[in-house]
Amino acid sequence: MRRALGIGAWLLTVAAGLGVFLVLPHLVSDFHSRDLARAGVFFIAIVGLNLLTGYTGQISLGHGALMAIGGYTTAALVVHEHWRDVWTIPLAGIAAGIVGFIIGIPALRLSGLYLALATFGFAVAIPSLLKKFSGLTGGTQGLRFLESAPLQVTGLTGKVTIFGHTMTQNHFLYYLTWSIGIVGFALAWLIVRGRLGRVFRSVRDSEIAAVSSGVNLAATKTLAFALSGVYAGVAGALLAIQDEIVNPLTYTFLLSILVLVGAVVGGLGSLPGLVLGALFVQYLPKISTHVSGRSGVRDFVYGAAIIVVMILLPTGAGGFLRRVARPLTTWLYTRP
Amino acid sequence: MERILYTAAAVACALALATVATGARTATPGVTATEVVIGGTIPVTGVASAYRTVGLGAAAYFRYVNAHGGVNHRKIHYLIKDDQYDPGQTMERTRELVEQDHVFAIFNSLGTEHNLATRPYLNAIKVPQLFVASGATTWGKDYKQWSWTIGYQPNYRAEGTIYGRYVAKTAPKSRIGVLYQNDDYGKDLLAGLRNGLGKKGKLIVSTQGYNVDDPNDQSQIAKLKSAKVNTLMLFSTPKFTIQAYAYARQLGWRPKVYVNAVSSASNIMGLATVGTSKKQTDGTISIVFLKDPTDPRWANDRGIKLYRTIMKHFKGTNPSDVYNVYGMSVAHTFVEALKKAGKNPTRDSIMRAATHLNIHNDPFLLPGIVVRTTASDRFPLDQSRLERYHNGRWRSFGGLFRVR
Repeated sequence: MRRALGIGAWLLTVAAGLGVFLVLPHLVSDFHSRDLARAGVFFIAIVGLNLLTGYTGQISLGHGALMAIGGYTTAALVVHEHWRDVWTIPLAGIAAGIVGFIIGIPALRLSGLYLALATFGFAVAIPSLLKKFSGLTGGTQGLRFLESAPLQVTGLTGKVTIFGHTMTQNHFLYYLTWSIGIVGFALAWLIVRGRLGRVFRSVRDSEIAAVSSGVNLAATKTLAFALSGVYAGVAGALLAIQDEIVNPLTYTFLLSILVLVGAVVGGLGSLPGLVLGALFVQYLPKISTHVSGRSGVRDFVYGAAIIVVMILLPTGAGGFLRRVARPLTTWLYTRP
Repeated sequence: MERILYTAAAVACALALATVATGARTATPGVTATEVVIGGTIPVTGVASAYRTVGLGAAAYFRYVNAHGGVNHRKIHYLIKDDQYDPGQTMERTRELVEQDHVFAIFNSLGTEHNLATRPYLNAIKVPQLFVASGATTWGKDYKQWSWTIGYQPNYRAEGTIYGRYVAKTAPKSRIGVLYQNDDYGKDLLAGLRNGLGKKGKLIVSTQGYNVDDPNDQSQIAKLKSAKVNTLMLFSTPKFTIQAYAYARQLGWRPKVYVNAVSSASNIMGLATVGTSKKQTDGTISIVFLKDPTDPRWANDRGIKLYRTIMKHFKGTNPSDVYNVYGMSVAHTFVEALKKAGKNPTRDSIMRAATHLNIHNDPFLLPGIVVRTTASDRFPLDQSRLERYHNGRWRSFGGLFRVR
């Protein structure tokens, strides 16, 4: 009986989440759905980083650079090869996945702080590399879809029609980003629940124990990096599609830090809180600007907010949600 | 018969649609009986936040104009959005200004890459992109393709040309080294320098680029010194310019320095002097087109007095920051253009006004400088003077250059 109730509650939560996803853009202004789409980009990158850092225990400060790989793959295909922007997303994911796999190789020898530094180096190097190959990347100017390949931009006229349903470009970007986000989230959930998730966690909790239980450490770590890279690449592609440009100044190491902040605030090692992590990263700068326009004040509010969140919610929003729901879940899953 | 009916119905429908469309068009976005809403992006925070006063100075001037009745009884409401110097965010915030805040025009948005990013969008939907805060040549040069865009300040290429001509004429045996920001801005200045040197292009013995997100330019300065450079061109933003002076001093190196106008403000030179020594910065050469609020020469000047009055009521910025003056000058030009755009300004009429400027009385510019544009001449400011830094202040010398 309680088991049925448990499944019911679970289904209800999922349905409510989907309901919010579908209705939300109609409750806010048209442009605002674009800001929500940007939060969706962070959400996807954070889900990917969480698989790597939260579940496999490998710290990465280089996810902004992996997003750059995705964004530039999309931009290069749109501008140079005249692909339609949305069809480049899978390839952007694959490209960043491959690069993720490669930067996973140092992780076989490094751990903890040393790995963080190695990935940080990658994040710092990427903007300069992007300026080097200017034939491909547009150098410091970057690539501009509307100037070089306007016909490849979905929703150029402001309207998009899919399956006979017409919506504004801003709504389209919102639904596109968050649909991909939800699918990515579901996949991550399946991975975490399954055998692979257990392998990831065993590596996180004790590498020695994992190896002695027959886990292939090298394969697991590089796989986690590659998977995480796919998420970051897809996020980068969506960011490029939303901005309709790519530029090295977008992908500075600060972006990597932002993604990590989102993952920590959302709750490493848990999934439901990540939506809040993404909203935190997207909206905190705006809110702190509202407090005062002076630049010092803004930075102060931003830093203080992160510290307060970490003191009040040391396990992030995910841990908080778990704690709130504990009485219910305990009741549901205990035999009477 | 049926066909005629259909045709009539179709024509009626088309007409109805057309009326609706024109009806929508007569109301210009951002213009009401009491207000004109404009907006732009400024790096209020982030790596380039030193430029935020370009926006704040303009905001201060609009507040002054509004307190004195506005333009045609309309107050100017200027929205500043922070893009953190990230062109991706410039795109987002500009869309927000157009689609959510329904601004009349984009005004004084800062940065070369940033305005290049929004230019195709703004031109496609015919929103004026007025008085871009960047000295790239393209704003004035490429108006046939981008008719809704216009720049403001003297362009970087022309500035580089002035330095090149001056060195070629006065010191033809120099060994020139260039520190430049590795983007359009730095490369434009460098190209101008080569252009100005003409046949003396060989005088350049070393060029060193840095990236705007680099921590410092120490290695570049060391390389320039080891190339036995005696004339150093600093085509760099304020932070890197101050560092360049400091690292040169650490190496015991005192070349003749030319510093581009982006970094030659008195407060920046003051910082460079405090960080090094008086001797290190003495003799530096730059160009100037604004009145410097710290220059005692302008202490009793009408424009700088006005500037001080406005700044007194505007808290939060440093009144000795010359970027405020720049902001006020560009705001002054916008106000003049708005006056010329008619009783009920439209996006078309403001563009026409912005491309037919002839302003002789801008109180914030050096005496004699005229803000002039025509339909085919889209460089509003194209005059400046050379200046030399001596005893902690700039002194201009020579006449007004017309630079292109």
